[in-house]
Amino acid sequence: MTDKVAELYLFNPRVKKTWQTFLTKKGIPVFSDQEVDQIDQTIGLFDEKNRLVGTGSIAGETIKYIAVEDEPNGPAGARFNQLVSSLEASLAQSGHFHLFVFTKPTYEHSFAHVGFNTLAKTKQGLILEKGTPNIQSFREQLPKKPNTAKRVAAVVLNANPFTKGHRYLVEQAAKENDWVYVFVVNQDVSLFTTKERLALVERGLSDVKNVCVANGGDYMVSYLSFPAYFIKDHDRAISYQTTLDAELFKEQIAGPLGIQVRYVGTEPDSPTTKRYNEALQAVLPKEVLVKEVPRLTQADGKQAVSASSVRQAIKDNQFSSIVALVPKTTAHFINEHWQTLRGKMMKGQNQHAD
Amino acid sequence: MQIKQTAMAGTLESSDIQIMLSQGEKGITFDLTSDVKKQFGDAIKKTIQDVLASYQIDDVMVKVVDKGALTPVIKARAITVVQRAMDQKDQPNWEVL
Repeated sequence: MTDKVAELYLFNPRVKKTWQTFLTKKGIPVFSDQEVDQIDQTIGLFDEKNRLVGTGSIAGETIKYIAVEDEPNGPAGARFNQLVSSLEASLAQSGHFHLFVFTKPTYEHSFAHVGFNTLAKTKQGLILEKGTPNIQSFREQLPKKPNTAKRVAAVVLNANPFTKGHRYLVEQAAKENDWVYVFVVNQDVSLFTTKERLALVERGLSDVKNVCVANGGDYMVSYLSFPAYFIKDHDRAISYQTTLDAELFKEQIAGPLGIQVRYVGTEPDSPTTKRYNEALQAVLPKEVLVKEVPRLTQADGKQAVSASSVRQAIKDNQFSSIVALVPKTTAHFINEHWQTLRGKMMKGQNQHAD
Repeated sequence: MQIKQTAMAGTLESSDIQIMLSQGEKGITFDLTSDVKKQFGDAIKKTIQDVLASYQIDDVMVKVVDKGALTPVIKARAITVVQRAMDQKDQPNWEVL
């Protein structure tokens, strides 16, 4: 094997052009900033004539933009394995021993061959993982439900921050079930950090006995963060992302944990959340029921209690209007951190969903 | 004994083997991917188990992706990954070697 592995520096326009041309030829056509900006490292594989014959990139703990041109008479998959190997070694050196791959269904087999496990798949794309801690360790560290619990439900919240609306949703689930898992989305792109959001949900629900609050880990994130670099059409990309998220929940969370119902709030205002709820409805039944609970409304009886109105009030410097929207525990926290939150808000770190 | 940190050694290229060790509490558990698992799976595990035993490691998760490695290669990769996992890369265990 005379192929050489070398780093590709995409900030060099010429290198980037070569890289894009190669990927486009291999059927990967999307180079939006959203996808490309997250790349930490890109490597290329060059043959003896110094032609690019393979590439792969690392973004956080995810491998993406992987494509290989097999040698005409060479062993199939040799270049692919060499490439994945280099990417893994590079991640291992920086202390990451757990990685995800988002790719087209056609590559499922190649990745399974080098030790990846499929977590969930859709017709358009799938997610695989390798290494530890993995989905099993995630499930094992969750609080155990009592043996007597027959009806088990789940709620997934971003809770940015935790409002009376979230509490209302969880209360409904707790009333109708023996045990409720509340998963808090683990992503630090919100106004409130994951740690803060988790603490506020825990405090705000501490009096509800049959509820356990857990960090959603790597497995419950915003579906918008799923790489969709191999799907050109934006509309199809969203349908792939929402479906994959629903499949992941169904296969890896609901099934093994015995969750029978997932509670979601109705979403009259946000079209993306509406599509997400539709995807859940399409994928989860019959194994898991999806229960849409009408949103708790504000005193005027019209406007829904939402985390975005809380964030708006922080922006508008209107602490008084927050008190009606959130539990005491959240109000207390916001009051104590008023200046910090306003500071963050002014910098514009707020653009994220509930 | 348990290992100190997660570690990896080897590659996915033909005739090599990639071994990853991570913390475990339930004895030695294997997750082996190999085209020749049926024929040589037990032999591969045995080679790695022997190396683990010589370092007195009895609680560990072993993830193996074999690409047709011969026994000396498996042994070499196993020793390397153990030394890395015990954080003693610079203190070779001559008695094992």
